[in-house]
Amino acid sequence: MSQRDVVAELRSAQLQVPAALRERVRLIVAAAPPERRGLGSWRPFDSRRWLAVLVPVAAAAAVAVVVTRPSHHTAAPQPLLPAQRALSTQAATGLDNSVGSTPTPSTGAAAAKLAPLTPSSTRAQRYSASLTLTVANATAVSNTTKQALAVVTALGGYVVSAHVQTGLPTIVTPIAVPEGLQPAITVPVTTVPGTIAPGTSSGAAADLVLKVPKTKVRTAIARLSALGTITAEQVDIQDLQAGLATTDRTMQQLQRQLATLRAEPQTAAVGRQIAAITAHIQRLQQAAAATIRAARYATVDLHVATPVKVAPVRHGHGPLHGLGVAFRWIGIGAVYALALGLPALVLIWLGWLGVRAVRRRREAALLSRL
Amino acid sequence: MTTFAQAAERHLDDVYRYLAWFTGDRAVAEDLTGETFERALRLWPRFDPERGSARTWLCQVARTAALDHFRSERRRTRREELAAVPERFEEAFAEGLSADLEAALLRLSAGEREVVALRVVLDLDAPTTARMLGISSTNCTTRLNRALKKLEEALHVAA
Repeated sequence: MSQRDVVAELRSAQLQVPAALRERVRLIVAAAPPERRGLGSWRPFDSRRWLAVLVPVAAAAAVAVVVTRPSHHTAAPQPLLPAQRALSTQAATGLDNSVGSTPTPSTGAAAAKLAPLTPSSTRAQRYSASLTLTVANATAVSNTTKQALAVVTALGGYVVSAHVQTGLPTIVTPIAVPEGLQPAITVPVTTVPGTIAPGTSSGAAADLVLKVPKTKVRTAIARLSALGTITAEQVDIQDLQAGLATTDRTMQQLQRQLATLRAEPQTAAVGRQIAAITAHIQRLQQAAAATIRAARYATVDLHVATPVKVAPVRHGHGPLHGLGVAFRWIGIGAVYALALGLPALVLIWLGWLGVRAVRRRREAALLSRL
Repeated sequence: MTTFAQAAERHLDDVYRYLAWFTGDRAVAEDLTGETFERALRLWPRFDPERGSARTWLCQVARTAALDHFRSERRRTRREELAAVPERFEEAFAEGLSADLEAALLRLSAGEREVVALRVVLDLDAPTTARMLGISSTNCTTRLNRALKKLEEALHVAA
């Protein structure tokens, strides 16, 4: 008998449902409540599916609430207003090219009382100071600039560069450079008569680079500080004396070499060496002279500005403010639900796969034994 | 839209036949059929015609009932230490089967009889049967071929 015959015989077999069973099923059907299928193909989730969705969502929401609670945030440092920004003093003396810093936050009058570091009268030093002043308005910026220039000129100093932006009619800023000195940076005053510079809505400002005799720099800083409210101050002192001493020693060595060469019989080679050493000595002398000359003046960067206007805080909310807040929180919740709910769903799915595999295996084992 | 009453009326024979072949015991099949329709009545709101026919769904409910029966039976026989002598297979699977084929069917496992019942007796297609059993179509076909081969060999020996 072939498999085809077996199948044919199996299919031809008849099995009638006993009348008792048919009656029992009829009774079961009769006990069924009338069906309500008015909602078409829509069917609610069963409890297990609801559970599979709600558990991760609830877990995500709980974690989101715990994480986003304000008490869990560490207090972030408040940003400083420009007026509160550091009033710092940086100073380094006695060391070549090294700068130490000692920030000292302060404001207004307290800062004005801070005495600037005193430059040494016996050592060559590069002294530079930076000063930020706040004045009331654009007119005050203009006046302060003029006063600063007057102070510097009166003390024997000069202006290296000046940039004034007030939104008012032009200020013509003269640049007075003493004879024999060239400004390190030359920036022309960019003003146009009778025009208002762009960006004046954010406040007027003036940037000045001033050179003041080093011996009078304390006086200059004191007078300039009095022109407005100090919001920042910085002093840098770089010692140049060690470099000058090194140059001096080098020159002495070269002088000795020169004397030795001059004592030797004068040949063409010796002549070339003498010329080279002489040129080298001249270069060193020029460099030393330039360093000493520069050290006589201190550089003062003066920034004068009006206070930055803080945007007014709106206390009233528009009619859609609540909607915006709601959408924001919904968005945050969605992100957390995705970040936390998705792995939870994957874990649940993997667990379900595992359980199903075990169940199938047990079923197969059970059915193979029967 | 099929109602539960219509589904019960239409597929009672199939459910009973499936259970009879699966269990190999008509009395047990009768009990399980009644239990199947009681369960089906409770679960009927979850029946989705888009996911399968009412016949397949009822057979699935019947399968769950049968598996529960097998498990409880196994526990009972273990407890009573009667596992070696099951009381089933005393009656024929159906009318019209030869004695040799009945005997051969008795030698098949319940799993093999189940796939024969679904694929041959109820004439379900392979994908539907595979989905119902939780196995692949290939596995389903392999299981059916193995069962038929066993039947063929048993009949050959008997002849």
